[in-house]
Amino acid sequence: MNFLFNYVIGLVASAGEALFFLLDAVGVVLRGKIRWSEVFKQVYIQGVQSIVIIALTSMATGAVLALQSYVMLSRFGAKEAVAQLVVLSLVRELSPVFSSFIFSGKVGARIAAELGTMKVNDQITATRAMGVDPMEFLVVPRILASLLVLPGLVVFSEILGVWGGYLIGVYNAGIPSSTYVHQTIYAVGFVDFFSGFAKTFFFALLIAWIACYQGFKTSGGSLGVGQYTTKAVALSYILVVVTNVVLTKIILALWG
Amino acid sequence: MIKVKKLFKTFGSQTVLHGVDFEIKPGEILVIVGESGSGKSVLLQHMIGLLRPDSGSVVIADQDISRLSEQKLLKVRKDMGYLFQGGALYDFMTVFENVAFPLREHTRMKRNAVMTKVQDILKLVGLDAAEGKFPSQLSGGMQKRAALARAVIMDSRILFCDEPTSGLDPIKSRSIMDLIHTIARKLKCTTVIASHDIVNSLRIADRIVLIRQGTIVAQGTPDQLRSSQDAYLQEFFN
Repeated sequence: MNFLFNYVIGLVASAGEALFFLLDAVGVVLRGKIRWSEVFKQVYIQGVQSIVIIALTSMATGAVLALQSYVMLSRFGAKEAVAQLVVLSLVRELSPVFSSFIFSGKVGARIAAELGTMKVNDQITATRAMGVDPMEFLVVPRILASLLVLPGLVVFSEILGVWGGYLIGVYNAGIPSSTYVHQTIYAVGFVDFFSGFAKTFFFALLIAWIACYQGFKTSGGSLGVGQYTTKAVALSYILVVVTNVVLTKIILALWG
Repeated sequence: MIKVKKLFKTFGSQTVLHGVDFEIKPGEILVIVGESGSGKSVLLQHMIGLLRPDSGSVVIADQDISRLSEQKLLKVRKDMGYLFQGGALYDFMTVFENVAFPLREHTRMKRNAVMTKVQDILKLVGLDAAEGKFPSQLSGGMQKRAALARAVIMDSRILFCDEPTSGLDPIKSRSIMDLIHTIARKLKCTTVIASHDIVNSLRIADRIVLIRQGTIVAQGTPDQLRSSQDAYLQEFFN
């Protein structure tokens, strides 16, 4: 019982500390101390790092979705609906969530490991000692870059996913190309796109925030870097999944 | 003038600083010596505001820095240099970029002026041929010299050095301490060094403070401490 009490207290304290960390970063942004050159450097690093794996995963997801749905829908004589099923699944749920998972595994892990290594090697303390705010120099550019990169990657993922579905639908299932394209374009309304796209900003913020926070908390040498990096990725996976449920519920309640 | 007044610091149940009290005159080279774990590095980190005391104060140029907010401390630290035990160079920057970093952050110097100043200081520390290398490509001694160049590039009024000779062989230890001495005299900066390298400390210090279990047990010039009849001092310095 005592153990559980201490665990809960520790959890609340950590959450509070993480929240103050985020507020500190927001304070830097509100004071207008944004280093755009660092932001764009991070945009390049984060984008380049994730684009290939997101392209492959998205195309494969779209293709598998088309293959599976074709089998099911053919039983009801509705194989033309494959295009709609693929695009709506991708745009509303799969691309935002899968891309966030990949982003967390690649970019989140990189941020946590990078900052964690800097922390254990005194580079973050050295930044303070040189009169430079580490929040401004290291954290805010990474968070802002994630907010720019992940939504872009999600749109890219949706396009490639649809392309993967198209290849299967047209060349494997024999759906006429014009029908597939027509069904795809007219299936997606603004709300469908928006409901998935809007979530990516929350996911990007969560992933970058947790990764930066865990990086800054790292202690215990190389072993600690590994532990805190793993923790950052695991936590962001959990929070993305949980937040996705909450956000989906809100979006459906508001826009249907 | 730096005044450290009745400084107390406790981590958990362990008291690391126990009422530390001393002063440093402008331009002086003061070496804080003591056994490992005696509180030297913690004391140094209080003197630049990286740690806050439980009680007591650190007064630099009539300003109690232990009471300043982090944002104000960042401004105060622009005039100070800090040489970290492991160098703490950014591993994603070259030696040149590392040394130029404070200038780019805090001055509006033109690119050519920055280049000239960095090259001059790298020449002074003997690293003019290594400016394009990354820290991982440097030896421990070279990393320390690059970090020293970065610490003084702003013509710092005060230079703090945390264990500058740790991990170095006796020849390189002597060379880095001589370099600190040369730079301190050239820039006329007040220098505080935390070290357990007694031989080199006695050689370059104007004054030495001996700290034991978070308390100052002796202070004076190298000659005064060497000639002391106190048994602990005898054992420590001779």
